[in-house]
This record gives sequence, C-alpha cells and structure tokens, in this order.
Amino acid sequence: MARKVLIVDDEELVRKYVRRALASRGWEITDASNGSEALAALESADFDAVICDLKMPDLRGEEVIRRMRERHPGLKIVAITGSVSNLKSPLLPGVEVEGFLIKPFGIDEIRDLMEKIVP
Amino acid sequence: MTAKANILVVDDEPQIAELISYALTSNGYSVSVAGDGETAVKLAAEGDFDLAIMDIQMPGMDGITALGELKKLDPEIEVIIATGHGTMGTAIQSLRKGAFDYLHKPFDVRELLGMVERALEKRKFNDITRAIFSTVKPEEQLRIIVDSVARILKAEESLLVLSDKGGKPRIAVSEGVEDGAPKEQRLAMCARALERLDGASKPVILVENPSENKDFAGIDGLQGLKFSLFLPLLDESGPTGLININRLDNGAHFTEDDLQRARIFGSLVNLALRNSSLYRRLRETQEQLIQAEKMSALGQLAGGLAHEINNPLSGILGLTQLVLENTPKDSQNYADLKDIEKAVFRCKKIIVSLLSFSRQEKEHLEPCSINEIIEETLTLCARQMELQHIKIERRLAPGLPLVNADFQQLMQVYLNLFTNARDAMPDGGELTVTTELRGDQAGPQTIVSSVSDSGSGIPPEIAGKLFDPFFTTKPVGQGTGLGLSVCLGIINSHKGKIAAEGNPGKGSTFTIEMPVP
Repeated sequence: MARKVLIVDDEELVRKYVRRALASRGWEITDASNGSEALAALESADFDAVICDLKMPDLRGEEVIRRMRERHPGLKIVAITGSVSNLKSPLLPGVEVEGFLIKPFGIDEIRDLMEKIVP
Repeated sequence: MTAKANILVVDDEPQIAELISYALTSNGYSVSVAGDGETAVKLAAEGDFDLAIMDIQMPGMDGITALGELKKLDPEIEVIIATGHGTMGTAIQSLRKGAFDYLHKPFDVRELLGMVERALEKRKFNDITRAIFSTVKPEEQLRIIVDSVARILKAEESLLVLSDKGGKPRIAVSEGVEDGAPKEQRLAMCARALERLDGASKPVILVENPSENKDFAGIDGLQGLKFSLFLPLLDESGPTGLININRLDNGAHFTEDDLQRARIFGSLVNLALRNSSLYRRLRETQEQLIQAEKMSALGQLAGGLAHEINNPLSGILGLTQLVLENTPKDSQNYADLKDIEKAVFRCKKIIVSLLSFSRQEKEHLEPCSINEIIEETLTLCARQMELQHIKIERRLAPGLPLVNADFQQLMQVYLNLFTNARDAMPDGGELTVTTELRGDQAGPQTIVSSVSDSGSGIPPEIAGKLFDPFFTTKPVGQGTGLGLSVCLGIINSHKGKIAAEGNPGKGSTFTIEMPVP
C-alpha cells in the first residue's frame, strides 16, 4: 500500500515541487493551503505523514501541529519554514516533530527525510 | 604703532572729556569723544570700541540707558561708569546692566588708568575664552591655546605637551621654538616637569633659569631660557600634559599679575579641553547609536525579507532539480539548469548571512576561552592557508580569564577575519593572531585579540565603510559584503568592540576587545 502524505503550505510552488518529488517515489499525496484545510483533510482520510509549513495565513504552524498530535498520535510530522529565528531549535517549546527542513530545500533532501521517517 | 585699544569717552562736560581723553591718549590708547548718549550710541554703531567710559548724568539719553544700548550693539564692549554725585543705587544699577566698574568723580588719573587696564584685560580674557571654546577640533583648539598664552603672558616661546596613550610626552603644538634640537631639549624639560607633577599639583609652577635648576640637570640647550612657567593639564585621572611658557629676556620677570593671569588661563584651558573631550565622546556615542539603529532596522527588514524570498526560492530550487532529473546530462539545458541551481544556493548563503547578521538568532552565552575559540577556528582554515602559502604566527597569551560568549558565533567572527586575511594575501604571506589581557584587576579588564595579515592593507577611502552591510571589495559573486557587518553585529551583542586598522601596502589588523566579566 502506498504511503500517504499531506502537504500543508500556502505557497503553491512549494506544494507543487514537493508533490512531484515524492509522487515519483511512490507517495500518495494530498495538499492543503492552510491550517484549517489541513485539519479537515486529516479527519476525512488516514495519513502516514504531514509536511507542514510553520507560517501560514490562518493558524500558526505550531498550533496546527499541536492539534494534529492531539487527534492523531501516530502521525509523523515534518516542519518546513523559510523564516528561521533559531537554527538550532526552530520550534516553540513543547512542539515536537520528526523532521525539519529550512527553505530553500532540494528534492533529494525532502525525499531522503521522508524515506527515513516512514520507511 | 597701533593703539593699545579703542576707547569711547562719553561726557557732557567738555573739560572732563578732554582731561580723560588726554590721559588715555598719552598712555597709548586711541580715543573718540561723544558729548551725549545719542552721539555715543551713533559712534559705537559705526566704530569698533573695546571700552567706553561714560558719565551717568547727561541731558537727553542718560548713561544707564546709553550703557544698555552700547551692550545691545556689542555685548563684548566693556563700560566704565563715571558718576558725579552717584548713589550706591545707580552704581549697582549700572553693574546689573553690564558695566565693568564705576568711578566717583572727581577721580584720580591713575585710578582711571588702572581701571581701564583691568577692563581691557577682562575683555582680552573674554576674547581668548571665546576663541578657546569656539572649536572642539583638537588641532585647532591647541593651536589657539598656545598662541593666546604667548600673547597674554608676553612670552617668546609657548609649548603644549601631552602624554600619548603609552604615557610618553610629545609636543602637540608650539610657538616660537625652532624644530630639531631646541624642540627636543624643551620636550625633555617638560617631560621632567611632568614627572614631578601629581594630582594635587599647583596650578602654576615658576622656574627661574631652568638650566641652573637641579630638576633639569643634564638637559642641554636651556641656557637661553630665563623664566619658565609650567601650567599642568589635568583630567579626572591626573596630569595629562602641561603648557610651558618661556621668557628669554633676563629682565622680564613674571609679575604676580602674570602668575594670576597664568592661573586663570590654566583653569580655562583645562575646562575647554575637558569640554571638547566630552563633546567628542558624545559624538562617538551618537554615531554608535545611529549605527546600532541602522543595524537593527536592517535586521528586521532581513528577517521579513528572508521569509518572503525563501518560499519562491524553494520553488525555483525544487522545480529546477525536478527538470534536471529529466534532462540529458550532456545537453546545454542541463548545464544551464545547473547554473540556476548554483545561483539559488548563492542566494541561500546570502540570506543565511543576512539572518545571522540581523541577530535574530539568540546567542547562547557561556564561559569561553578566546584562545580555544581561535585555535579551533585556525584548525578549520589551516589547510587552506597552507595551500595558499600563508604562514600562521600565533602569539596567544596563556592563562587568560574566560569571557561570556557564544562559542559558535565567535568562531564565525574569527573565521570571517581569517578568510578575509587569506583573500588579502593571494600570493602568500603571514597571518598573525595575538591575544592579551588589558587593564588591571581593580578596574575593568578586557581580552584584546588581533588578526593581522601582510596583504594589501586598507585604502583610507574605504576605511569608514568596512563594517557597512553589503560593502565588499571582492569581485561580484565572491563576497556578500556581509562578513564584517556580521562580525560587528556579533561583537556588539557581546558588548565588545571591533576595529580595523591598516595602511595600503602594510597589511591590515583587526582588533577585538571582549570584556572580562
């Protein structure tokens, strides 16, 4: 069965290349352009992983991640962001993720990371 | 011969005006006479008078009113009021309006001349005070001081000696002293006098025939000096230098009046020098504040910009790589796409520098050894230096105290300085790294480290821009122009100081001062 990933980013270009990079590796992809859409998508289908931008127009990425954790404890989460306030611990305290990438990242970086998280 | 001063005599009684006028003219003053207040004001408006001697009771405009008018025309003019049956009341009133002093008629000519001299002396001091306080530029100010002191004390020679940072005295300016041996000999004399000064020293020290004085034994060439005065210059910490005034004529004793003048002059000069040093410090602080403001504004801009740019940049990178996967490796398209990919990585590097420069990363302070940071950074660059035939010379002081710092950030600073040094020596050379402890245990201590290269140096026209963001001398694509501004940002946030110095052809030295907690 194909591994399923949800890509959450308000930047269409990013969703587009991440989708294509992972699709060619056999991932099944759904995307969402904001936090509420993402939470709704998680209610209607099962996912192995979520790739989530940290800065979006509606909800803070960290808030989205917190809610996902509550409702879907087994979900693997990768955070991505273009605004880095601290390279060493990029997330707010209390928010934990399985992986983290700083934009701009290449297609091999996201592929390798996803393979590692959901073998 | 030019007149000693221009004096305006105002009296409605012609005989008295005549008498005063005669006394003054025969003492070398130039005199104009006015018979009433209105004429006096008219003359003062046209001419340039140093002093007015004015009767208080005159028909028409009275002396008190005329005094006010004269002061309005020229606030510097001195006015002596003469009063026939004056009461204390009018005298006080005239003093309040700015009169120098008052005389009761009938007065003695000597009394008048003495008062005139004192009034003119006050005026001269006012002029000098204004001149000394008119500038805060050291070279101008010191020149005015030396010229004025020679003038008011009627001395052939005047010198201003200051101790430099290492405590070594040097002649800052001099008047009437020939270059070469005479200057050297006087400097030696002043250095000796300076050694004998302490915090509580007298404001004026008079030495007759310094060549015969045991304090100056062994210094040649002082025989020409007959009377020497030394006025110590002091700041909060003690003596910083002195003014030396020399008369060469055997009969030209310094009188008690001269010494009094010298004392007043000395305290004026001390005040003026302190004033300008405070002013310069204020300016420096202002400049630092403006620089810090610029940095912080740019930092905020950079943070926002980074986010806006990184999203599309990520798209460019990802899509380029996707297309690359489907492009034959030997095609022109493949080569072009690779160039695009490289350009994206370059942009990424610039943004990372901008972000670290903008100090959005919170530093992690811990006790660090500066020597250790330097050694670790040198390990990183050793191979590159070797390849470029650069010899590394270490002069690291052992046993230095630790400083509170972010190890990674300081490594970044030294890495930047080492890389710049390497780039300044494309044909090889020597990189010298030093550390030392400055200050004593009682006061604030700093660890001073320096990075010097034997490269092309810093042209004076760019010295002021070195730490400006985006300023670079490297070819397009090789430097972001952010390296040194990042260093400045990091060192500032550590409450340290970074400075550059270097002359074309003589290499450059970057110095970092870090406070010891």
